[in-house]
Amino acid sequence: TAFNISDSNSIKVFVRVRPLTHSTGLTTDGDQNLCLTVTSPNTIRLLSKPEPRIFTYDHVADMDTSQDSVFSSVAKNIVESCMNVVFTLFIYCSGKTFTMLGPSDLDNFTDELRGVIPRSFEYLFFLINREVERSGQSKSFLCKCSFIEIYNEQIYDLLDTASASLFLRENIKKGVFVEGAVEKFVNSAAEAYQVLSMGWRNRRVASTSMNRESSRSHAVFSMTLESKESINEVVNIRMSQLNLVDLAGSERQKDTHTEGSRLKEASSINRSLMCLGQVIMALVDVSNGKNRHICYRDSKLTFLLRDSLGGNAKTYIIANVHPGSKCFGETLSTLHFAQRAKLIKNKAVINEDTQGNVR
Amino acid sequence: MASLGSVEWRAICDKFTNARNLTDVESRNDPENDPFRSKYKARELLREIYCSLKSFEAGECEEESEGESGEQRPTEPFVDGQRDDLFVQGFSGDSPAGLRAAKLGAVEYYLGVNHVDTEELSAGQEHLMNCLKQLEKCKVSSENVSLFIHVRNQLGILWAGRDETETAQGFLETAESIYQLYMKEDGSPPTDMTEYFTTKEKLLTHQERTKRFEFAYTHTMYYLAQVYKNLGDTERAATYCHSTLQRQLQSNQFNPMEWALNAASLSQYYITKGRYMEGRHCLSAALVVSGLAGEVPSEAAAQESETESERREKLRQERAEISRCWIKYCLNLLQDAKKLLEDNTGELDTDRQEELKRVRKREEEEEEKGRKSALLFGSEDTFDSIASLEEKVSCLFPLDFSEARAIFLVGQNHVKEAKEYFQMDGYVTDHVEILQDHSALFRNLAFFEEDLERRCKMHKRRIDMLEPICNDLNAQYYLLIRRQMMFELAETYSEMMDLKMTRSNRQADTESLDNHTIKKINHLCSSSAKYFQMFLDSLCSPEGKFPEHLEEEVLRPALVARFRVARLYSKLICSLPSVHLDNLNKSLENYKYVAKYCEAHPEAVAAVETELELSKEMVGLLPLKINRLKARMAANN
Repeated sequence: TAFNISDSNSIKVFVRVRPLTHSTGLTTDGDQNLCLTVTSPNTIRLLSKPEPRIFTYDHVADMDTSQDSVFSSVAKNIVESCMNVVFTLFIYCSGKTFTMLGPSDLDNFTDELRGVIPRSFEYLFFLINREVERSGQSKSFLCKCSFIEIYNEQIYDLLDTASASLFLRENIKKGVFVEGAVEKFVNSAAEAYQVLSMGWRNRRVASTSMNRESSRSHAVFSMTLESKESINEVVNIRMSQLNLVDLAGSERQKDTHTEGSRLKEASSINRSLMCLGQVIMALVDVSNGKNRHICYRDSKLTFLLRDSLGGNAKTYIIANVHPGSKCFGETLSTLHFAQRAKLIKNKAVINEDTQGNVR
Repeated sequence: MASLGSVEWRAICDKFTNARNLTDVESRNDPENDPFRSKYKARELLREIYCSLKSFEAGECEEESEGESGEQRPTEPFVDGQRDDLFVQGFSGDSPAGLRAAKLGAVEYYLGVNHVDTEELSAGQEHLMNCLKQLEKCKVSSENVSLFIHVRNQLGILWAGRDETETAQGFLETAESIYQLYMKEDGSPPTDMTEYFTTKEKLLTHQERTKRFEFAYTHTMYYLAQVYKNLGDTERAATYCHSTLQRQLQSNQFNPMEWALNAASLSQYYITKGRYMEGRHCLSAALVVSGLAGEVPSEAAAQESETESERREKLRQERAEISRCWIKYCLNLLQDAKKLLEDNTGELDTDRQEELKRVRKREEEEEEKGRKSALLFGSEDTFDSIASLEEKVSCLFPLDFSEARAIFLVGQNHVKEAKEYFQMDGYVTDHVEILQDHSALFRNLAFFEEDLERRCKMHKRRIDMLEPICNDLNAQYYLLIRRQMMFELAETYSEMMDLKMTRSNRQADTESLDNHTIKKINHLCSSSAKYFQMFLDSLCSPEGKFPEHLEEEVLRPALVARFRVARLYSKLICSLPSVHLDNLNKSLENYKYVAKYCEAHPEAVAAVETELELSKEMVGLLPLKINRLKARMAANN
């Protein structure tokens, strides 16, 4: 059931129904009423009222799907192609830590239940070593990791907790990057995982000591892969990148990202009507071909991952949902989010100078 | 307060102050695992106040006999229409019964807001509706009008949150009409709701009352702007955004930087609607108001302190953003004028030009009278500066080169300003976008230029600014921008080639051209083909395969690029027959591609109708030409 990665749409959505593994603490809280069923490898039937609704995705994993098969149907492809292109994996919603890391989220490298990330690292370094061997040492790899957190539109370095908030910058050769973020060189899967665990631990510390809620922050782990190959004195350098993004949970993000008609209130921020700008922004439409400038920037996350949304990058989204009927609201919003996500695209409008096209 | 002793009254006032303090100040420090602790405490105090008011004053107003057991059954969703009886029926606001109702209503209001804040929406709704019911007993007057507006603002927010936009709209529009009627009929500074629970010595000044009341109404405007946006009524939404900004400016309640950015954004709305007068007004106001934020700290000052450095960064960015909005203003004005004036070959239509000049003259005479009816920004301090700034730029379509040049120069000036902040190092995307605009400014100005040699030079400027950067940008990270640039470069070279050909004053016979000109034309021709080809190559997969199915957003550009490449190859001038043959074959191959693609993908036909027709024609004609050339080559051998 692995799906074809070279499909024209560069965003794939994978929905995983959170497993009911009691031993890992992921239960449905004694609630045996399920609000959804997996009806085929790519559809979910949600028991909504008055009529059940069917949602279709690229792939749906039901409760019994093992960590290994999540890895082989999603991440294996990612890792293979991340040797060549920019690749981003978004993970969203409840049970994501389990999917990402595994039951106890630290250093558990051999556990059968270990998550997608340790498996990805192992596989990536397996591929790297194979490449190096095949090329007869003429090819070498340089692997760097960084780990940042975006909370309240501020960027923090999870590998250097002492640093103040950082800025996004752009470079004509490097693209978008976080200025001043620590980059760690790694040589093996274990080292990469160590960097990740360290950042993960720091994130927890920060969330308690600095009043940052991790459920409202995004974490972005980036691994840059530089391959160097010398053929007949010509050195060929290729860059690729793997981003793992832990998206803020849906539960408490009432005021961010939710589309719909909620009004932005002004009473609490007495003089600030910054949101008025957002209203106006929505009024300025591009459809009539007019050229306009929008003064308000994209969110930091979208800007940082801009290359992931379209063009020559590949993107996967794993959305986790809880099957219990108590979680109906959250599940519905996650399913909606996952469906919308497929439509996200970074488009470039080619402004044709129509004059004299045909002469 | 006959039945309430001053001691009891003071206790109520203290409780109220305490509740407000808990809600506004204390609640910010509530722990994460008990986020509403202070709000719950405030709620208790409000309930106590409510009970005290009820019991102390129960005997006061005998007119009331309806069951006030507090257990009202949930009524049907109350829809607030714009009701004009609010000013004529009920107790007068300053009567004891009216005051009592207003006070009870106010407590219900605060309880409602409290419940909404703690995510108990339906309880919140009930309290707010109770407040409305209390108010229904009263006529609108200076004692209660503020509460009338506040409660509707809250109900508007509440219902909008439930996706019931029309219900929200009803409450907010009623608030709007209450405000307007009140200002017409009375207009004296109304009592603020907090004053219901203050002792005499703490009453507000008239100025402060007016300020608070006007601010509540500004919020109504602001919420209505959002409601209309959600309803898809963009024009009204824009009007309400405009009013919100104007009210902020007048009442001096704004952050200059924020205000200026909002006004600049609004200008972009007007531009997309082709309303340049309004667009210019917003932009001028944005510039004037951004000046109120003060001088940009010097680089030296920024190095000294972190706050100064942050302020410097923010102010510079804001001003650069406003400049970018100005660039778009100039660009669109030129572009729209060009559209008006061009004939079907894309050249200046002089008859049309004369006619438009006559029309403009006539309108100018009429407009002297009617112009000022549009919505305008300004406070006492800013009005003149905004007006004088406006005078420096025209908002009418330029009709000849000198008018176009004046607009171009304003745009170019802003390009310079914007680039100072959005430098390549650090802001690649923004910088490149500004360059693209600069290039587009030149492109549009060139249309108005009659001298072909000078026109060519303008296009050369475009190439000089885009080409080096297009080649430098990382092809992976800036793919989309590079595609745009490659296409534009290809078109610019092609345009220059056409100009050179026209200037050499010959299309058909190549023999009469001198070597230098041929070289020049061929260079332009092959450069254009090169960039079209680069664009096409950028669509290939990592393995270098051209897609079988073109995605919607690149469909037309890709087919047009193929078509243009075909045309360019057939235009290359060469004396060597074998090279000529090669070129013709390449040309044919590309024409064939367009025809074949459309055959296989019928949905593409609509996007490239003219190109397709010509391609098919060429697929028929070119082989003949190729065969003739082959025959001639054979004969010569």
